[in-house]
Amino acid sequence: MEHILAALAEIATLHTLLLMSAGAIAGLLAGAIPGFTIAMAVVLALPFTFSMTASQGIATMIGVYVGGLSGGLMSGILIGIPGTPSSVATTFDGFPMARQGRPGLALGLGVWSSFFGGTIAAVCLIAIAPQLARIGLEFQPWDYFALVFFALTITASLAGKSLIKGLISGALGLLIATVGEEDINGVSRFDFGSDYLQEGFAFLPVLIGLFAFSQLMSDIRDPAEARRSLAQTGDIDIRIEHLKAARIVLSKWKNLVRSSLIGIFTGILPAAGSSISNILAYDQAKKASATPEKFGTGFEDGIIAPEAANNATAGGSLITMMALGIPGDIVTAVMLGALLIHDVVPSPSFITEAPVLAYSIFIAFFFANFLVLFFQSIALRLFVLVTKVKMYVLAGIILAYCGIGVFALHNIVNDMWTLLIFGVVGYAMRNLGFPLAPMILGVVLGPIAERWLARAVAISTDMSNFITHPWSVFFLTLSLFSMGFGMYQRDRGKKRWTLYYTPLMVLALTPAMFMMEGFIRPGIGIVMLIGGLYALYQAHNKAAGFQPAAGGTPR
Amino acid sequence: MRALNKDTIVAILLLAFCGLLAWSSLHIRLPGYGTLKPSTWPQIMVAVLTLFSAIYFVQSLGYARDASSKEDGRKPGVSGFLEYFRNPIICFAIYFVFLATLPWTGALIGGIALVFALLTVLGGWGARDLVRHAIYAVVSMGFMWTLFTFGLRVILPEGEIFSIR
Repeated sequence: MEHILAALAEIATLHTLLLMSAGAIAGLLAGAIPGFTIAMAVVLALPFTFSMTASQGIATMIGVYVGGLSGGLMSGILIGIPGTPSSVATTFDGFPMARQGRPGLALGLGVWSSFFGGTIAAVCLIAIAPQLARIGLEFQPWDYFALVFFALTITASLAGKSLIKGLISGALGLLIATVGEEDINGVSRFDFGSDYLQEGFAFLPVLIGLFAFSQLMSDIRDPAEARRSLAQTGDIDIRIEHLKAARIVLSKWKNLVRSSLIGIFTGILPAAGSSISNILAYDQAKKASATPEKFGTGFEDGIIAPEAANNATAGGSLITMMALGIPGDIVTAVMLGALLIHDVVPSPSFITEAPVLAYSIFIAFFFANFLVLFFQSIALRLFVLVTKVKMYVLAGIILAYCGIGVFALHNIVNDMWTLLIFGVVGYAMRNLGFPLAPMILGVVLGPIAERWLARAVAISTDMSNFITHPWSVFFLTLSLFSMGFGMYQRDRGKKRWTLYYTPLMVLALTPAMFMMEGFIRPGIGIVMLIGGLYALYQAHNKAAGFQPAAGGTPR
Repeated sequence: MRALNKDTIVAILLLAFCGLLAWSSLHIRLPGYGTLKPSTWPQIMVAVLTLFSAIYFVQSLGYARDASSKEDGRKPGVSGFLEYFRNPIICFAIYFVFLATLPWTGALIGGIALVFALLTVLGGWGARDLVRHAIYAVVSMGFMWTLFTFGLRVILPEGEIFSIR
């Protein structure tokens, strides 16, 4: 309780709330503008946080994050183009409702669903993360390394269309992180005799170069597009119907709670994210509805489900980040990097070692939902103004800001060169079809993985420790299945083998559970064994009459 | 002989890059202390990247030759490439000049020149455009410079020419 009060004292100050408000408005705008991603907004907010305390900096970025998730609904509803991938499903019913002359209600439903979804997730975050983090106290270096290794295998899930390109991108990120002087022995690596390379690449310039710089280059690539306004909104004068919308959202509480839980669960899963959860929640709402035919025609449930889910996903991602020290999605990967900049090393023992900071993050997430709700109407007016600006004007000014922002990190011009280099690298990778998210994951997690491996080897060079420690076995087993997750996603419903994926994963995890001490975990292991065998039996029966979906062949 | 496609060329470049890193990793200094050698982790990573690049190379041999340029409407050849990527190439070049001249111009003057050049190249050279871009450049960079210098207490690069940070 004392930690919660101390955290509350940190966050509930006028200064911090003002910073969070600025972050929330910036996030709302960035989320609303098509072509700007939430990750880019959070990355660009980073330079402002250097001079802040760790809790203020993270609180500001959480403001941007939550704002970005809510901002996407504005453009999705008003112009039919989702501001971010997390609002794709919102446009299915939001845009038709706006065209039917009810844009105020559509926005209101989106705003209040986002608020309730985020608030439910905040409660879950505060309740679940500390409990989950207690497990982290049992971890030894082998377990830590296995956990980070598991997080690295997520790159396969982030790969997108081409699995091999995603893996190459992740491996490149890991290698980038090895350039320069290493932390453990202070030995320089891959410097080729250059002082610049000996310093290594700072995380922030790499991140801004890869994400923001290269994204801006993509936005201005087409000369005609670059000279066009950000969006054709015209003169919009809309009043958000708050009261009516809040009543409707609360009356549809089943859909709200279900969608929020889908969002939280998707967020907890590494690499899933809000771009998946909003569509998943929409689909489930449609399946559970008594009037599924109304979906897509401007139906209220079709706005509530995706908006509650995408904001709840943020809470789920933060649970993974806070409890295990691994990023749930690309935005939390950036936040982990931000914590490193403030000399806070994220790990499963983070909540125990820095409880005030941890609870500050929980409370900031809770407050951010209220701030976003409060500022949505103001952001709507700003959004209409910003959309009249031409893309090249915004891009030119942001490019200059990127340079000044990365300079502020260490006050050295070399970081600006790093920005340019990784801007070129990022742009080339985008055009060659290499996803950038795995690379970021590699850059963030590479040094952490190496550090834990060094600690493990320093204690004992016996490599069998990795298969005799239960948590290490658990995470290494999970890693094996995580590596195949990309193929599973691609072939699900098309290939027969995907039916066996989940039951086999559950069964493969049971030995680790049996290796754990006490009665409860081996007991869970027995339940997993029975459940896994039953699921395997069912999968076998399904496989007999398996009909692949369009484009698939049974195998 | 069939011409190489884009992916094959990238895979070859990646493999060459892996070779360079592998060679460099052999020259990493080994201190007499610590159990995990400083070269171990990078060497594992190089091996992993080499493996992935080799798989990519083999896969790329089966791809059709540069279908992407047809898909995005780009003309073939170097001139088509330069025309298609004109804006990004010019922007990168302007940014390069900005960084190269930063020690002389400083953050404020250099930044204003950077924004003005970027806006003019991307937005047009008309008289009204030039005036508008100049205003945007001065106002935006002036605001950023003030914010970082006085608000965030960042000592931005000082130019030799005007001695303004």
